[in-house]
Amino acid sequence: MRRVRFELNGQTVEHEVVPRLLLSDFLRDVLGFTGTHVGCEQGACGACTILLNGEAVRSCLMFAVQVDGATIRTIEGVSPDGTSLHPIQQAFHENYGLQCGFCTPGFVMSTCALLAENPAPTESEIRSHLSGNLCRCAGYESIVQSVRQAAWELAGGNCAGKADGDDE
Amino acid sequence: MTSSTLARTSEAATEQSGQGFGASVRRTEDYRLLLGTGTFTDDLQLPRTLHAAFVRSPHAHARIIAVNAERSLALPGVVAVFTGEDLAELTAPGVMVQTGAESMVMETLPTRKVRFNGDPVACVVAVDRYVAEDAVELVEVEYEPLDPILTMESAAAPGAPLVDEDLASNLHTQQTQTFGDVTSAFAGAYRIVEARFSTQRMTHVPIEPRGVLAVWDAGRRELTFHSGQQTAHLLRTNLARRLRLEENQVRVVSPDVGGAFGQKIPLFREELTVAALAIKLRRPIKWIEDRLENLTAANHARDDSAWVRAAVDKDGRILGMKAELWADYGAYAFFTPKYPIDSIGWLLPGPYKFRDYEYSINVVITNKCPAGTLRAPMALVTWATEGIIERIARELKLDPVEVRRRNMITAQDQPYVSATGYTYEALTMWEGYEQMLGEFDLTGFRARQRAARADDRYLGVGIASVLEPTTYGSAWYKKGGRGSGHEAATIKVEPSGAVNISVGIVPTGQGYETTIAQVVAEALGSRVENVNVRLGDTSLSPYGMGTRGSRGAAAGNAVAYLAAMEARGKLLRIAAHLIGEQVDNLEIRDDQIYVLGEPEPRLPLSQVSWTAYMDPFKLPPGEQPGLEIHRTYDPPPMTFSNATHLCVVEIERRTGRVTIQDYRVIEDAGTLINPAIVDGQIRGGVAMGIGQALLEEVVYDESGNNQTATFLDYLIPTMDAVPPIRISHVQTPNPHTVRGLKGMAEGPVQGGLAAVMLAVQDALDGQGLTIERSPASPSRIRALFRTVEGDVDE
Ligand code: FES
Ligand code: FES
Repeated sequence: MRRVRFELNGQTVEHEVVPRLLLSDFLRDVLGFTGTHVGCEQGACGACTILLNGEAVRSCLMFAVQVDGATIRTIEGVSPDGTSLHPIQQAFHENYGLQCGFCTPGFVMSTCALLAENPAPTESEIRSHLSGNLCRCAGYESIVQSVRQAAWELAGGNCAGKADGDDE
Repeated sequence: MTSSTLARTSEAATEQSGQGFGASVRRTEDYRLLLGTGTFTDDLQLPRTLHAAFVRSPHAHARIIAVNAERSLALPGVVAVFTGEDLAELTAPGVMVQTGAESMVMETLPTRKVRFNGDPVACVVAVDRYVAEDAVELVEVEYEPLDPILTMESAAAPGAPLVDEDLASNLHTQQTQTFGDVTSAFAGAYRIVEARFSTQRMTHVPIEPRGVLAVWDAGRRELTFHSGQQTAHLLRTNLARRLRLEENQVRVVSPDVGGAFGQKIPLFREELTVAALAIKLRRPIKWIEDRLENLTAANHARDDSAWVRAAVDKDGRILGMKAELWADYGAYAFFTPKYPIDSIGWLLPGPYKFRDYEYSINVVITNKCPAGTLRAPMALVTWATEGIIERIARELKLDPVEVRRRNMITAQDQPYVSATGYTYEALTMWEGYEQMLGEFDLTGFRARQRAARADDRYLGVGIASVLEPTTYGSAWYKKGGRGSGHEAATIKVEPSGAVNISVGIVPTGQGYETTIAQVVAEALGSRVENVNVRLGDTSLSPYGMGTRGSRGAAAGNAVAYLAAMEARGKLLRIAAHLIGEQVDNLEIRDDQIYVLGEPEPRLPLSQVSWTAYMDPFKLPPGEQPGLEIHRTYDPPPMTFSNATHLCVVEIERRTGRVTIQDYRVIEDAGTLINPAIVDGQIRGGVAMGIGQALLEEVVYDESGNNQTATFLDYLIPTMDAVPPIRISHVQTPNPHTVRGLKGMAEGPVQGGLAAVMLAVQDALDGQGLTIERSPASPSRIRALFRTVEGDVDE
């Protein structure tokens, strides 16, 4: 058993964990934050994406002991108050960016990281940045639109994402 | 899209006029899913839960000599290890009955032989999943390996070792159906044109794998089976029978489901095992499969082929057709083995006019993961039908558009009874095709294509007319021997006027909670927000056939609408009595009762509903108290929708890579409930069709080991592989369904496969190359180019 202390969605958490416990299982099964989904445990689907110190990481590829001292945000911590939708979530809603919703927390977290780093991504930047997140339902176009709208809303609605032709 | 168009789009999305049929209402499901508060099977946690993991066969085909669990049981935290022998005592075997073929019996876990790489042999139950997985490694199974059967040819060869030793042959199904006078049609033909099409083995890949939490209430003697499923009631019936329980002792609860695509229909052996052991151990047991299990041992699909021959006259008119169809069904039957391949057979005439037709189906049992119904089980059909039309044009040196003009069924031809006896009505195959040609500059494209060839660039276009069977009524099932196509709804207008409704369909991403609320709100003159839709729990929802095919709209939403219309009738009768008006003079709008022509409402809906429950003496004579209505509905024998798909590809000769440059769909799914949700079905379906056309393939090596057990080897389309799709809708209502609904969901997969494969063929045409098998992967395309003299790999 090892003791970890870290910040999860703004709250300090202290817990004993066994060394081999995956971070995804720790969040879901031990702490009850089941919004982070596990789709492969192979690091390949992106459903388990969370923010670790602001960076998108796959929680199925990390051990719980590695989060000691870190700041973590999961899908449950995206909404400003736990009940209203953050502009990224709102954009997914308005653009039909989800169907079954299983991949969605991963896409939302990856979008958080993308827009923090690049507030005005082009369509091809969105597509390449999110190509590590798999969705079997939606065919992706509505997700791309969701991300574009989120970028636009977060920029205050006036500093828009670059247009298609600006890619190169 | 520029920022200003984005702004406009987002404004347009904000103003929603009306919420009933035809309104792109935003989905009510989204809120919980976006906040991360949805409830999927693995999100459920109960005290005292044990965890299961399965010991699986490393061999494709082997006898089980002995199972030794001693070392496994010695591991701290392991509760028990159960084998096939144990499960045979706790459960009844599964039996697959198919008219005209041998029945196939499936043990809960095998006792004598394993039949594919990944076949479950034993189940370990432990305190947590980590321990359970450790313990799996410690179970020692002694096998005697047998020669595996891995191809259709070797399976069907005389004297081949039997995969299922209770069967007389690995060639399980062999049937021929003849319609009209196909012999004369072929005898009188100007030419017989033939072509072959075959598809790879695939798998469904819901991003949420399979799983179950089984809970036995020993005091009540009731089992609750929490598991993401498509057909909750049929599963309950099956589960009760296999567990030797009564149906009122079993409750299936399908919570939020992370995609299914036909995979979450049958009662899988692992699920049954977990339920039986939860009863035996009197502890909740959870099993969540991992991705390796999902890819190798859940359920596969496709792996079929069509050899099509068309008898034509010199103008390319089709006189008759013959098709020989084969499918590799894998090791066990979770569905009737003939089902997917037979739907290719009866659909093959597609949108074309001819009467003389014959098809044979051949299904073999092999040492691979069992196959089943993946979204559009008949996916091959559109490629095969449109592919033979293209071949006719090529061989007769005719314009393929002209060949279609001569053969395609038009609006004037309908109602049209197909060669195989299906009635087409209110379909727009030719009209959709013409509309596509009007919107796409084919002549200009041909010029670009020629110019590109001069630069060693290979462009191709594929245009496919998709005929999608959506909703199967009971009359259809009756033809095949048994089964029902009905659906059921229970609606409760509560005393306050709030509405609760449940239907037998089970959502796995289709947005049913939204669309059902829309049709109910329209029927009741209420709002989507006032309608609570609860699905997937057999203790709440009425017995319906669930979610399969594309029956959500024309069966599931239809029966919800009919139930709501009955509730509306009763509300209006009570209201008329309360205010002393004729029923026909009343309407409900905005939750208020209006007299026609009057600007102000007379009564709130809530007063009527309150009266129904709380003040029965005010009801009209003979009216029963309460507002709870149960309704069933059996749709017509078969409902079709249709679409035209267009795809432009470029093939890079050097690498064999295919990229999609343009993709368009014109869809006629009849009356639409929520066009934005239909667009989502089109985009998701086309993406899966593209996956089949270009990427996905389950591969077994020569010993029968599955080589595609991770997402690095089994490739589903990613965001950079699926292009934007231009969609337009034509809404030709079906005259025989509720509100003209047709439904759709599988056609986009048929169209996706067909349009891409036709485009690839078009790009290869000038080289004299023919692509006969999907996926058109870089290696397959390179292999074709290498047959052209002088083209060597760089
Ligand atoms: S579950 Fe972590 S990447 Fe798939
Ligand atoms: S919405 Fe189902 S996997 Fe993305």
